Amino acid sequence: MQTATEQELVTITVNDQEVRVPKGEMIVESVKRIGLDVPIFCYHPRMKPVGMCRMCLVDVGMKQKDGSVRVMPKPQTACTLPATEGLAIYTDTEQIRKDRKGILEFLLVNHPLDCPVCDRGGECPLQNLTLIYGPSTTRFVEEKRHLLKAFPLSKYVQLDLERCIQCGRCVRFTEEISGDGQLAFLFRGALMQPQTYELTDFTSRFSGNTIEVCPVGALTSAEYRFRARPWDLETSPAICTECSNGCSTWFDHRVGEMIRINGRTNEAVNEEWTCDKGKFGHNYLNSPKRLTTPLVRDGESLREAGWAEAYERILAVFKGGGGAVAGLSGGRPSNESLFLWKRLFTERFESPNLDHRWHVHLPGAGETVAGRHGIREVNTPIAAFEGMPAIFFFGGDPAAEQPILYLRVRKAWFRNEAKVIVAAPEPTEADNFAYCVLRYRPGSEAALLGGLTRLLLEKAGGVAGADELRQAVARFTPEETEVVTGVASGALRRAAEAMAEGFATAASRTLYNLPNGADVVTALTNLAISAKSADRFNLFATEANEQGALEIGVLPGAGGLDTRGILEGCRDGGVRALWLLQCDPFERFPNRELARQALENVEFLLVQDIIETESFHHASVVLPCCAFSEDDGSYTNMERRVQRVRRVVAPKGHAKPSWKVFSELELRMTGETPPFSAKEVMGMLGSAAPQYQVSAYDHLEGEGVILPAEGGAAEPRLALPDYDAMEGSRELV
Amino acid sequence: MPETRLLLKHSGDPEYRAIAGYMAEGGYVGLKKALTMERQAVIDEVKKSGLRGRGGAGFPTWMKWNSVPKEKTKPHYVLCNADEGEPGTFKDKELMENTPHLMIEGMIIGGYAIQAEVGYVYIRAEFMDCARAIKMAIDEAYENGFLGKNILGSGWDHDIYVHMGAGSYECGEENAMMRSLMGERGMPGLKFPHAPFPTIEGLWNLPTLINNVESFACVPHIVVNGGDWYAMIGASTKNSRGTKIFSVSGHVNKPGNYEIEFGMPLMELLELAGGMKGGELKACVPGGSSVPMINKEQCEKAIIGYEELVEVGTMVGSGGCIFLNEHTCIVTFIWRTTLFYARESCGKCTPCREGSGRLVAALARLRSGDDAQKTAALRDIDELVTVMRSASLCGLGQMAVSPATSALQDFRQAVGAPKGANT
Ligand SMILES: Cc1cc2nc3c(=O)[nH]c(=O)nc-3n(C[C@H](O)[C@H](O)[C@H](O)COP(=O)(O)O)c2cc1C
Ligand code: SF4
Ligand code: SF4
Ligand code: FES
Repeated sequence: MQTATEQELVTITVNDQEVRVPKGEMIVESVKRIGLDVPIFCYHPRMKPVGMCRMCLVDVGMKQKDGSVRVMPKPQTACTLPATEGLAIYTDTEQIRKDRKGILEFLLVNHPLDCPVCDRGGECPLQNLTLIYGPSTTRFVEEKRHLLKAFPLSKYVQLDLERCIQCGRCVRFTEEISGDGQLAFLFRGALMQPQTYELTDFTSRFSGNTIEVCPVGALTSAEYRFRARPWDLETSPAICTECSNGCSTWFDHRVGEMIRINGRTNEAVNEEWTCDKGKFGHNYLNSPKRLTTPLVRDGESLREAGWAEAYERILAVFKGGGGAVAGLSGGRPSNESLFLWKRLFTERFESPNLDHRWHVHLPGAGETVAGRHGIREVNTPIAAFEGMPAIFFFGGDPAAEQPILYLRVRKAWFRNEAKVIVAAPEPTEADNFAYCVLRYRPGSEAALLGGLTRLLLEKAGGVAGADELRQAVARFTPEETEVVTGVASGALRRAAEAMAEGFATAASRTLYNLPNGADVVTALTNLAISAKSADRFNLFATEANEQGALEIGVLPGAGGLDTRGILEGCRDGGVRALWLLQCDPFERFPNRELARQALENVEFLLVQDIIETESFHHASVVLPCCAFSEDDGSYTNMERRVQRVRRVVAPKGHAKPSWKVFSELELRMTGETPPFSAKEVMGMLGSAAPQYQVSAYDHLEGEGVILPAEGGAAEPRLALPDYDAMEGSRELV
Repeated sequence: MPETRLLLKHSGDPEYRAIAGYMAEGGYVGLKKALTMERQAVIDEVKKSGLRGRGGAGFPTWMKWNSVPKEKTKPHYVLCNADEGEPGTFKDKELMENTPHLMIEGMIIGGYAIQAEVGYVYIRAEFMDCARAIKMAIDEAYENGFLGKNILGSGWDHDIYVHMGAGSYECGEENAMMRSLMGERGMPGLKFPHAPFPTIEGLWNLPTLINNVESFACVPHIVVNGGDWYAMIGASTKNSRGTKIFSVSGHVNKPGNYEIEFGMPLMELLELAGGMKGGELKACVPGGSSVPMINKEQCEKAIIGYEELVEVGTMVGSGGCIFLNEHTCIVTFIWRTTLFYARESCGKCTPCREGSGRLVAALARLRSGDDAQKTAALRDIDELVTVMRSASLCGLGQMAVSPATSALQDFRQAVGAPKGANT
């Protein structure tokens, strides 16, 4: 991206005041440089300007050679007018004032003016601009247009057709940003209305954003509709914990209850968008199934208990439990909680049995990307994808696994013509803009990567130690690869062509769900190294703080059991007590039968969670946890960005922050002064895991901080996986 | 002054519609000649001819041709605007049905001059007969080597395709037409100074030359006889050259297309059309319903020519000339015309989308309200037309007010009169 200093600057005048601005910048932006604002409705800085609403009109003149200014006969829209040398802009002439007033009057003639019951009332651009620029009374006596007031575009988004001012922002959002193009204008003239196409629903993963870009109350959230007035809400910055992307959000709440989630600007992560999971997926926060108090088992049933009693029961089993106790977490607890939890296990209980991973096949310590290849698993920040000329999506549907990264990659294609290569066994949303799609047979992942590696090794000369690899993939000629994977040899060549100059890999750790997951990941890493792109290799986490768990090392210690081993130990009696921290094996573990046997057989089951889960029914002790909005702490997203959240609402009932629970347990065991704040825990984490010595904790807000790389850049190593397709993959098609 | 039939000379001759008949009357001689000329020389002939766009705006045709990049680095396109939708205008229809080769030849010459590989004819949906005639003419042109690969051994390839509209007046506006042709909604995009002219960035952001059917049909004559010859026609006017077809309708005895030399007084055109029917002349809309209306006195002074008509407060426009007799209710006329524009507004921009409907409503009040309502309606109209004219994105919204504004200028007194007095 060009920086301002590299750009050519031009001099324009705004209301006779000179200002230097980048050439080609839209005047609507230029006037902001001297503190002015022109009113807008249809313009949105992240979308192409269209000049529809005509609200941003300004008078425009050209400086003539003799120094005079020739003003154009008609005013022009500032949102579509690029700055050129010598432009003279007038934002406040008689004619402009008249036009603005006229435009507002036109917008209002058919507007229902039901502000008193409108969700947008109080935060509505139409209301605000009418107050500033508009007429105070109406002159028209005709009946207003009457249209549907609650047209459901989808389960989440409802359209009030009377309130719509036809600005096209929602339509353009689906065309330009989310790219699904699910909204369009129907009909013509005064009857024009945004709609889904006939017999289709607004199923976009990003539909919720249209509610926010709508400058009036036309698009409303089915959930939030009529629930609050904006001025009754308190709003606080938060981070979404629904997936690993970690979007910045506004958390709107009233008397301790979450009311709605909106996108918050973070140029480094989500720009200003959220996905629908993030926007509408937080209902569990207010669920009646929230756990609010510790519970202990007496015979058949659980009963409420105080924290002290619960602690006693826990310590009686876990203290000094060693290899007979184990802990499993999800990827959701904060860095602070995970760190203290790990310390509790390794130092106080002296148990190496700890894991946070739930994939079918977990790589051993030597089998990870770092272990095998000497490179980091995650290297590319989300924003950096925007400038990547070639991007390789491998293995899944990126829109589903990494929604915000997906938007960024789509933007890279839309704005910068990035070549996106999508390799997945099933159609994905990214196929729409893919430079080429490699649709392989499930089970033939390694072979496909072998075929690509062979082509790339031909092109990129001089990769250290490539001879053995060259031999290993020699048999995967494009033709042979086609036979094995079903991917046309032409497509494979086209992909290799685009990737030859280097590419960014975007894959998720869900690859470890493949039976030969470790081999596939090795093959994928080899591919990146073959094109000298190891510095852009990424095997991303999919859960909010899964990356944090990995960095902190919530993993089996020496001789410890991994997730499967722990569950088997529970079943077979080797593990007597199991601690589930914000995870439910019934939901998470692929082999449900093993999960059931483990939880039924284990002597002591401690469930610490936000909400009642299936495992809850087997628990010996239950501890309620705080949700992200009820606790201070930080999360490490999939690009290794640490972002801080603060307590926004009070914990439910007697729930306590997890890190506090762990430090109280430590206090009981050691008598040492425990940490009193999440910030203090972060300090401890910094000394244990040096990458977390990220500058001051107080600066984690805003965009957050990417964790520094550890150690020097090692020469990436190739490794030899098994490139064969899985048995039977050929017969699958 | 009689008609000067240049384009319509053979309009009544069925033979002329087929390529044999057309060539027997000198057809495709212009193309053959053009292909032996330098491209710039063709443009220079058009420049000498003084031809101005016949689609409405009267923009000098050669300037458009000349502004297409000469150094060719990417595909160029020709787009013929055959969407003739302006109420009162039906000249392109006759040209396409009766003299299809004339327009096709003009397009090919234009394509040669600007180095285009593809031409499109965008025909309005209702013009099925035109589309058939044009398609047939294109086929014949291919058969005779005037289209396709290596045209007449020149080494230059050119193809022409027909595209049918879907029934929107707005798609006659060149910018909206391009969107529509590209498969988008028929709404104009950004235009100068917000975006380059179509001749720099048009269809698919590539240089595109857009001209009206009649403009293209003039070109073969100019190339065959020379620009200087063409420029002698209409030389009495300030800056209008050649002939112009007027579609005369309204209260006249012989409505129809009349091709006349620029410089003819408007009243002579009325005479050609058989004079007024059913009453004295009251007003005239000389260039299609979106140009300002003029009253009888102005009509009597009016000389047909781009600048000359502006002098009497109106425009040549597309040449849809509507004469109204003394029994016409002017308010009803402008109400009905404005209703057309309100219905045809594409909806893209606020002033036109909402304003045109408001204007119709106000005119309706003016038609049937009591005195107080009429006064209020007149005040409303005055204010909303200024915003529509100043703030609309394209010509539709800007011009939709001109029936009302011009008529009210002249007939305000009468219009404001109490109900019952038919003005
Ligand atoms: C609302 C609107 C409708 C128009 N409709 C037509 C039309 O039907 N036919 C046409 O030739 N030009 C039409 N025009 C003019 C075209 O935009 C354009 O100026 C013309 O095609 C240029 O060709 P010319 O230079 O040969 O006149 C229309 C313009 C506007 C603003
Ligand atoms: S629904 Fe909202 S965003 Fe969409 S066009 Fe209407 S006003 Fe604009
Ligand atoms: S002026 Fe009317 S027709 Fe033209 S863009 Fe605006 S709404 Fe569409
Ligand atoms: S903001 Fe410029 S036209 Fe809408």
